[in-house]
Amino acid sequence: MYLFSFPICIDGQIMGPVFKDKNKAAWLLVTVGVLILPFIVGKGFYLNTMNFIALYSMVTVGLCLLVGYGGQLSISHSAFFAIGGYATAILCLRFKLHPIVTILMSQFVSAIVAWGIGAVVLRLKGHYLAIATLSFTIIVEVLIKEMTWLTGGLQGLSSIPPISLGGFKIDSDYRFYLLAWPLMMLMLLFSLNLVDSRMGRIFRAIKEDEDIARLFGADIKKYKIKLFIVSSVYASLAGSLYAHFVTFISPVAGSIMFAIDIILVLAFGGFTLLWGAMIGAASLTFLNEYLTVFADYKRAIYGLALVVIILFFPNGLLLGLKDFGSYFLRLMVKGTRYASTEQRV
Amino acid sequence: MLQLSNVSKNFSGLKALSDATFDVKEGQIKGLIGPNGAGKTTAFNLITGVFPPSRGTITFVDKEITQQKPEEITRLGISRTFQQPHLFKSLTVLENVMLGRHYRTRAEFLACGFRLRQARREEKQIYEQSLEYLNMLGLAEKRERLANKLPLGEQRFLEVARALATEPKLLLLDEPTAGLNDQETDGFKNIIFKIRDLGVTLLVIEHHMRFIMEVCDEIAVLNFGVKIAEGTPKEIQNHPNVIEAYLGTEEKIA
Repeated sequence: MYLFSFPICIDGQIMGPVFKDKNKAAWLLVTVGVLILPFIVGKGFYLNTMNFIALYSMVTVGLCLLVGYGGQLSISHSAFFAIGGYATAILCLRFKLHPIVTILMSQFVSAIVAWGIGAVVLRLKGHYLAIATLSFTIIVEVLIKEMTWLTGGLQGLSSIPPISLGGFKIDSDYRFYLLAWPLMMLMLLFSLNLVDSRMGRIFRAIKEDEDIARLFGADIKKYKIKLFIVSSVYASLAGSLYAHFVTFISPVAGSIMFAIDIILVLAFGGFTLLWGAMIGAASLTFLNEYLTVFADYKRAIYGLALVVIILFFPNGLLLGLKDFGSYFLRLMVKGTRYASTEQRV
Repeated sequence: MLQLSNVSKNFSGLKALSDATFDVKEGQIKGLIGPNGAGKTTAFNLITGVFPPSRGTITFVDKEITQQKPEEITRLGISRTFQQPHLFKSLTVLENVMLGRHYRTRAEFLACGFRLRQARREEKQIYEQSLEYLNMLGLAEKRERLANKLPLGEQRFLEVARALATEPKLLLLDEPTAGLNDQETDGFKNIIFKIRDLGVTLLVIEHHMRFIMEVCDEIAVLNFGVKIAEGTPKEIQNHPNVIEAYLGTEEKIA
């Protein structure tokens, strides 16, 4: 890592460490790793789980932008996940449109819904905002269950055609992996760029103190709505891809439980780190899968594990591990120092 | 340049400012002094649009700004610092100044996320300009530190750098030397002259009398929300109302 934080000389003047490059280097490394992974693990459980992780990561990275950087706690991302999924399914099944067209159209639908909802609820702050967005999720869930003529009710919609690119059908785990992960990594890169730009800085400022942020010429209301739209589209795009990947969508996709799960992932990975959102999604998905051996007690043990982890790493797993690592390192350095003095004596 | 005419502000019965009239001329360093609770900071909050006045009008460069929102007033070219530094704690020193450049740049969401050419060019400009402001205030070395890790004096300098980064025409400083030692106060004096040489007009609230008398071209004095005197430092020092406000009158002992 040191290599990338080394001072760079431009115009004979030391520009200081270009901190952005650390993230970019990590991004490149992870992208390469993720892309060669399927050829190592091969077909089966891991590949399938990784596909879901890509989708969940999109949702959590989107939420991380909104909560971790914009400071607006929203519990509506499962609703947007469902809107994205249902919109593309309905457009595809009813109007026989091409999946790629319907995916793009459903993002547009989600963006408009997010704009409408955001304009209303983003006047609220803190807990009130969380409650308002939670109500929106409840409304969406109920609508999905009750509007049977459109959404298939509790049965959901099935036999949604997979995404196809000019006759090439993305219907296997392998193919979907090579679509979802590059897309996910691009979305992560977009977020990394965004938070380290004039927009990202103003959002971090808004999170800390809206009144002071206004003094720097920021139109807070407009900015918050825009961020809400971007963040919601992340979730909705994941939902659309999910619908075409599983070829089936049911009200579970828009449930409150899912919305809360997403927030848990963020708490677990660290609210203020985009990387944490991704790693949180990955580790919790695997944890969830491994806990299947406990059958009915799965949720209880899942909850317990979360409590323990959040107790030990209140800043999230990634930052926690980093702190722990540096503590451990210091301990080791100290240890060797003591050892060497002992030798001298 | 800035004109307050008959501005009053009541906080549910408490007259924080009543019928205050004063102006700031372009290019000058104007002082605003008065005992605690005289309404100085209220005047700043009114000018920057934190809340509107109960009565009266405020005009800035021939434009009425009485009812404008804070962000609009910033865009017109008024910037300020605070009595207690209000820096963004989670941002580094450099990022705090870069934030000041926000409304002078215009790359939007997508341009920023995709790092389009416009965003890259702007980002480079922001970086260079911010570094210049930091250099001017002697903070360039500490640019990678978190803002709240700086000592108080440097936090004040950083606030000035951040305010300057918005390229204001008028800069309002709220007690810039409170809590600073003599050496830092002298440093601030030089900075204030440097800022004036950039072509920025200054309005300074201050309790530090020697500092304000040395720095200002003109001073207005408030007491209990009322302007009691205005003039050059020399006039103010000998003004009977000012002496009364600060020292009280002699009482005859019978």
